[in-house]
Amino acid sequence: MFDNIINGFAAIFAVGPILGIIAGVLVGIIFGAIPGISGIMAISIILPLTFYVDPIIGITMLLAVYKAGIYGGSISAILINTPGAAASFLTAQDGNALTKMGKAGKALDISLFSSVTGEALATIVLIFIAAPISAISLQAGPIEKVFLLLFAFTVIGSLAGESISRGLLSCCLGMMFAMVGLSSITGASRFTFDIPELMAGFTFIPMLIGVLVMPEVINVIRNRHQSQQEISLTKSANRDDNRISWKEYKGLFGTILKSSGIGTFVGALPGLGSSTAAFIAYGEAKRTSKTPEKFGKGSVEGIAAAESANNAVCGSSMIPMLTLSIPGDDVAALLMGAFLIHGLTPGPMIFFEHTETIYAIFAGFLLTDLFLLVIARSGFRFFTKVASLKRYFIFPCVTVFAFTGAFTTAQNMDDVLILIVFTIVGYAMRLIGLNPAVFIF
Amino acid sequence: MDRRKVDIVVMTMLIIASVIVLTNDNLSQGGAQTEMSSLFLPRLVAGFIICFSLFIGAGSLFKLLNKAALSSTESISLSGFWGVNIYVALFIGYWYLVPIVGFLLVTPFVMFAVACLLGGRRWVAITAMSIIVPILVFYGSNHFLRVFLPTWSLS
Repeated sequence: MFDNIINGFAAIFAVGPILGIIAGVLVGIIFGAIPGISGIMAISIILPLTFYVDPIIGITMLLAVYKAGIYGGSISAILINTPGAAASFLTAQDGNALTKMGKAGKALDISLFSSVTGEALATIVLIFIAAPISAISLQAGPIEKVFLLLFAFTVIGSLAGESISRGLLSCCLGMMFAMVGLSSITGASRFTFDIPELMAGFTFIPMLIGVLVMPEVINVIRNRHQSQQEISLTKSANRDDNRISWKEYKGLFGTILKSSGIGTFVGALPGLGSSTAAFIAYGEAKRTSKTPEKFGKGSVEGIAAAESANNAVCGSSMIPMLTLSIPGDDVAALLMGAFLIHGLTPGPMIFFEHTETIYAIFAGFLLTDLFLLVIARSGFRFFTKVASLKRYFIFPCVTVFAFTGAFTTAQNMDDVLILIVFTIVGYAMRLIGLNPAVFIF
Repeated sequence: MDRRKVDIVVMTMLIIASVIVLTNDNLSQGGAQTEMSSLFLPRLVAGFIICFSLFIGAGSLFKLLNKAALSSTESISLSGFWGVNIYVALFIGYWYLVPIVGFLLVTPFVMFAVACLLGGRRWVAITAMSIIVPILVFYGSNHFLRVFLPTWSLS
């Protein structure tokens, strides 16, 4: 295993993968910091761009977007009390309270250091745990695999959304749409209604962008009359309020370590996700804190617990995906699609069929933390400026990127039509409480 | 709008579609003959769709008949839908015009229109963005991704 890890690092230390990681981190932080744009949206828009590069570059770039996106969400949460994701809800409580006290810099620093520590620890666990689990799961026979598949669909169906029945219905609808076209086993054409364009089925990327990205744009258009909050970073005259000292970090390390452990464990269990991890870790930190009364009113411990736990989920949610083909959360489900597009089938065999690639991706995962730390630390002001861009500058660009992304797949205008159709389907699904992420899986 | 009514309509439609999948053999053509047929898996899924739709639809119907109070998730706000209709119409027009007029010519107008729809009034900045972004995307796709976006096809 150690040979594989070293080979992985050797593969990742090249110009292409490092540029990919830097680009991914930049895009992730920017998209994460803009209220109304989620990590899923960022990954969906970037995904078509990765088709034309090596899987190591493409996948590490997407993973960098994922990690940086989760961190980026905490910027808007801390500065304007608008969590980009549910997982940043607790960060918003304590972080915004600190911002109101003039300690925005400190809150952002704590959030960054906790996020990076949590992610790095979870990634190390992923690297050392995934291969042994996959070796065990390789012993599964056809019957076990069928039950595993049923378990996967049940877990995916209950991932999110209002109710399990709506989640499972979304899952079934997704399966039905996936069966349009030629059957891979019998060669029969199903649900094509003599339309030759349907013989190959619905193209994945336009469907993905239509169902996951475009409804966000539609939401913004529906709420276009609401005023947009300005994001700004004000510096305190007291230098200690703008940063976290080594002593403070050392004091918080116990909380970060415990919360990262909780996040790693929760992330490895399919279906729970980063919000659950953040809430459990926050509750535990509050229970064991010497100053529980400060929680919710600007507690640095609270930010450290929530951020380290929700970021630890990034790494550990890959464990069930890579070893059992069961994504830990909705973003992992999306990344699973990205792996498939790049010719890497998640599952136990991935460690034997694509050893070098998978360990290079792991190495890239770890390296992303380092780049995230450096880039985010040096560019707080820049990212807050970009995140303050007016929506009438952002969403026309998103529209064009979505159009280009759909067209890129097969250089075919039919795919843009699929994008339009699934934009409507995706938005309708949201209106009636069905889960688009589960549908896409 | 009461989402429970929408639930009943949508679930009824899903059940009807699933029954058609279960009963119509013409939905699959050609291919190798197997004991379970090519429609085995779609029919299995259709069965599940019927079950879940019945469960959701019956729940909504029951609540409607009992005149239960609407929860926050059970009402659909219809405000702002005009903008959505315009956006969808713009996108359809975009799809229709790009193969004829070309990406570089249509995109600036679409971007400008979307920006206006979102309340943008900084005309110079929006115009600059609407011109620069399509050029960057077009040449970036061409040179780095080898994706050739449609160009002017009228001659």
